Amino acid sequence: MNSTILLWQKQIKKALVHPEEIVGMLIQPILWVILFGVGMRSLMGSTTPDSGNDYMTFMVPGIVALTAVSAAIAGGATWLNERLIGIVKEYLVAPIPRLSILMGNASSIVTKVLVQSVVIFLVGLLMGAKISDNPIGWLGGLLLIAGYGIGFSGFALAVASSTDSSDGYHMMIFLLQLPLLFLSNSLYPLETLPAWMRLGAYANPTTYVVAGLRQTTLEHTPGMGTIANIPIFLCFLISAGFAFLGMYAALKTFNKAIT
Amino acid sequence: MSTNGKAITTNALTKRYGTEVLAVDKIDLSIRTNTIYALLGPNGAGKTTTISMLTTLIEPTSGRAEVVGLDVMEKADQVRQRIGVTFQEIVLDPDLTGRESLNFHARLYGIGKTERLAKIDELLSLVELEEAADRRTNTYSGGMKRRLELARGLITNPAVLFLDEPTQGLDPQNRVNIWEYIRTLQTNTNTTVLLTTHYMEEAEALADQVGIMDHGKIVVEGSPRELIAQMGADNIQIIGNGRQDLFCENAKMLPYVENFNSSNGILQIGVDSGNRRLVEIVDTARQSGFVIEDISVSKPSLGDVFLKYTGRQLRDK
Repeated sequence: MNSTILLWQKQIKKALVHPEEIVGMLIQPILWVILFGVGMRSLMGSTTPDSGNDYMTFMVPGIVALTAVSAAIAGGATWLNERLIGIVKEYLVAPIPRLSILMGNASSIVTKVLVQSVVIFLVGLLMGAKISDNPIGWLGGLLLIAGYGIGFSGFALAVASSTDSSDGYHMMIFLLQLPLLFLSNSLYPLETLPAWMRLGAYANPTTYVVAGLRQTTLEHTPGMGTIANIPIFLCFLISAGFAFLGMYAALKTFNKAIT
Repeated sequence: MSTNGKAITTNALTKRYGTEVLAVDKIDLSIRTNTIYALLGPNGAGKTTTISMLTTLIEPTSGRAEVVGLDVMEKADQVRQRIGVTFQEIVLDPDLTGRESLNFHARLYGIGKTERLAKIDELLSLVELEEAADRRTNTYSGGMKRRLELARGLITNPAVLFLDEPTQGLDPQNRVNIWEYIRTLQTNTNTTVLLTTHYMEEAEALADQVGIMDHGKIVVEGSPRELIAQMGADNIQIIGNGRQDLFCENAKMLPYVENFNSSNGILQIGVDSGNRRLVEIVDTARQSGFVIEDISVSKPSLGDVFLKYTGRQLRDK
């Protein structure tokens, strides 16, 4: 446990050394909300008045998921870099559990994700999204995001442990990232999708995490129709399961990468 | 946990990659505590693989290895607690300062704050990095990085310190400097040091025992003095002309001449001590009617031992 915290601290400190990383980390989600969100709101508003603001509300949890994925990718790239430089060897000859090395990395990624999520919600609020004022809902939302962040970090770390090339890493991650985001309910409601895509979306953990986020963090307004179509316990279950699977995959490839 | 005065022992330690590559081939090491042991060998001899097994980074294919009496496979965690390692490549986080690197490392090993801070100051001053301590390591020169790594390897008070090519890529000043640190640190802390190198001078300057490694095997082992003595006599080389046959006859009668050979017009005379016998050899030549044009004395070095056992062929073709 101590070594997990220690590695977490190190990664956070490394991020704080680079102001450009912090600024980028905060600006990227803001740009998403403002540019993509406002653009889509105008599109929606032009067909049916009122649904524009609804879309802003609808979209905010989707942007949170997208940001979590970006952060996990960056975290995986940091890990790959440490592996290639050889810094990982310092951890490996130290008397600490292998799992704590992964947990330290994943938890530092999730920390960044949670900070970014809060920023996204605040910006969303400023841009007219209807966010819930229930603190318990917020707490639930952060838990869902943490699970999702750990899971995707795990997969990113697994890919980073099984390749020796930075280009290869980004290619493989891109293949994972694209369907995970767009084959889900993050940016459009499930009801409007063709059946085959809806099927894919239901097989995607992102769908459950985003659906859970909508239920816990948004004001329950009718409109986009998807607010409560997935039971909340299932959302939490799948978020936790995804976290577990991601860590499992990371640990598996990690052990293989060493020997 | 009985170590019998041995810091490292291995028994038929072997590492095989796939079916083709036999990186380390049944080596038996026995390294006494509180000594410096140098694994000397050409590139690709299996030195780093050996260190990787002893430091629990990779698992042996077969055989056994014990570090301070602890099996590296069965008690890997306890071994890790007792060793310090510097790797062949420089392994420092460019985003941390020197002090932060040491602090992080000491915390990885669970060293308490008071002891940690005292130790950091002590080691920073020892490797003369106090002034650079609060700069990020990406501003350090190669020599400074190596010194910091040496301090890092020692901060946990290891029973055994592994140094894989500790001076690779350094200029001669820094190299000699690092040797001095290693020697000082070893005598001050009673640590056993296992280092690998392909620099003869390094092994000669530092090691109590040297093991020459090639093709995954230890081909010969001993103290530098013993190994050099094995090479036999000092060598006097002479080029000249005149009564070579008579010179040869007379020289061979001298009690201290061990051998007399001639090839390509160069005479090689093996004697017990080159510097002492030079004048007498010159006298003998003159009395025999042999005119010397050029004369030189050479003493065998660890380099000669190295080349004798490993040959001149490149290993990493």
